[in-house]
Amino acid sequence: MSSRTTQVLANGPDSFVWWDWVDRNRDVIWERTLDHLRLTAASVAIGFVIALALAALSLRFRRLYAPITWVTGVLYTIPSLALFGLLIPITGLGFRSALIALVSYTLLILVRNIVEGVDGVPDSVKEAADGMGFTRWRRFVLVDLALATPTIVAGLRVASVTVVGLVTVTALIGEGGLGVLILDGLRRLFPTPIVVGTALSVLLALALDLVFLAVERALTPWTRRKATL
Amino acid sequence: MNDAGTGVAIRLVGVGKQFPGSAQPAVGELTLDIPAGSLVALVGPSGCGKTTTLKMINRLVEPTSGAIEIGGVDARTVPAPELRRGIGYVIQQIGLFPHRTIEANIGTVPRLLGWDKARVRERAHELVDIVGLDPELLRRYPTELSGGQQQRVGVARALAADPPVLLMDEPYSAVDPIVRMRLQDELLALQRRLHKTIVLVTHDIDEAIKLGDRVAILNIGGVLEQYGSPEELLRAPANQFVADFLGRERGLKRLALLTTDDIELIDGPVVAADASPDDAKVLMTQFAVDWIGVRDGDVLRGWVSATDLDGVTRVGDAATERFHAAVAPGTPLRETLDRLVLSATRVAVVVDEENRYRGMITIEQISEGVT
Repeated sequence: MSSRTTQVLANGPDSFVWWDWVDRNRDVIWERTLDHLRLTAASVAIGFVIALALAALSLRFRRLYAPITWVTGVLYTIPSLALFGLLIPITGLGFRSALIALVSYTLLILVRNIVEGVDGVPDSVKEAADGMGFTRWRRFVLVDLALATPTIVAGLRVASVTVVGLVTVTALIGEGGLGVLILDGLRRLFPTPIVVGTALSVLLALALDLVFLAVERALTPWTRRKATL
Repeated sequence: MNDAGTGVAIRLVGVGKQFPGSAQPAVGELTLDIPAGSLVALVGPSGCGKTTTLKMINRLVEPTSGAIEIGGVDARTVPAPELRRGIGYVIQQIGLFPHRTIEANIGTVPRLLGWDKARVRERAHELVDIVGLDPELLRRYPTELSGGQQQRVGVARALAADPPVLLMDEPYSAVDPIVRMRLQDELLALQRRLHKTIVLVTHDIDEAIKLGDRVAILNIGGVLEQYGSPEELLRAPANQFVADFLGRERGLKRLALLTTDDIELIDGPVVAADASPDDAKVLMTQFAVDWIGVRDGDVLRGWVSATDLDGVTRVGDAATERFHAAVAPGTPLRETLDRLVLSATRVAVVVDEENRYRGMITIEQISEGVT
């Protein structure tokens, strides 16, 4: 056996994963995972609501789309550490700052996917809806957004996977979910929490992706019907 | 079908549309009376404002001048969404909702009007029957249907809430010619039952002539060049523009609209079966033909050529041939003419359902009837 394999399979404080530690800290790990999920869900949910409003504005007043994309684009490119630095004096350490930062990262992707999804709805369908007497609001929800569902869910998938990764960084300002484990491991040069935190974070991202995929399939039965002729 | 759903009159009074930023108005000042229960075709070249005119009726385009009355009510006094729920709308690209089943698509306007579920469902079933679709299709999605089926669903959806008015914007331009012809025939059959007021926009003059009770020919800027029945237009085009637009074969197009009932029939060279060959020859000379028609009472037996009359005592003793161009009363003259020119005797005979001889048509009768 190579020394590397030995290290992986070994079970002690210096090994890749010390299973005894994992066993002893089961509750903490579970708690951190739930925190991680809560912060992700809250960020994506709030981000989605804000993005819906911004997208609705962009669609109604076309001239606003470019500035909205520009602002959300700038937010997206600010390094997370720098953003925390900017927020701490205003909202302090903790949940609020973390949430604001995470929400701001979802906006670009979500706004763009909602607007592009709605733009992709055929004009003939929109004209037919208007011609049949849909009110503006009703058409937006029941026709435009409904038909944009695949593009919107695609945006939610990218946003949530991005946020799951970014949540770990918020450990630096006292939140962090699984990031707390990673930070702890880094400080103590103790590999087990780093591996556990990373692995669970990746699994969480994959799980969320699958959940959204399932939601999309449930919401869009029409996309899987092919012409039978 | 109850009376509530039958057509109401539409009046356009000095209606105009000036789009912002364009030099010329799309529609200048158009006045048009569309009688209740009639099918009016708006036809003209691109840029004549026919689609703009149509969309002003359901206010997808708001007129910048003039007024539109639907069933005596000024369209501007009704909120646009409410107005539109009372007007069926069919467009070229159909615009079915891809995310909804056929049943849900057909039920769109009834649901907007707040009908209960059972009634919407029942109506959807009624409508697939009316437009000739398999009820099996109700559970499918639009992408699973052929173009012709989708167009029928489009019409069913427009008729769902039984609106008195139906607007159709180039409804058959996107389907192939064979399906188009069938859909046009179906629309005519539907209209005979429902008596909606239908305004149909087309660039195809033949479609306008075939479908329209009246045809409005529009020129660039919504200028009304002529408005009348297809027969009037073909008989007396108001000006060169209309004549050009009606195109070649105007005579043939009119023949398609006129029937054997519209022209005077002649008795023709016909004798009774017991007439003598000499009597027959007198008639043949008079009509300048080398054959004679033979009848038994009211029934036309056929015709005998001059050479076969040699050596017989009665015309009826000679072997007769059938008239190739035997048509029923009410047959379009175009079809009659087609059969006439292919016949050996160069005449068409009109024979009713009880096989009684009504008269004869020669090419001269057809020419006279048209001019």
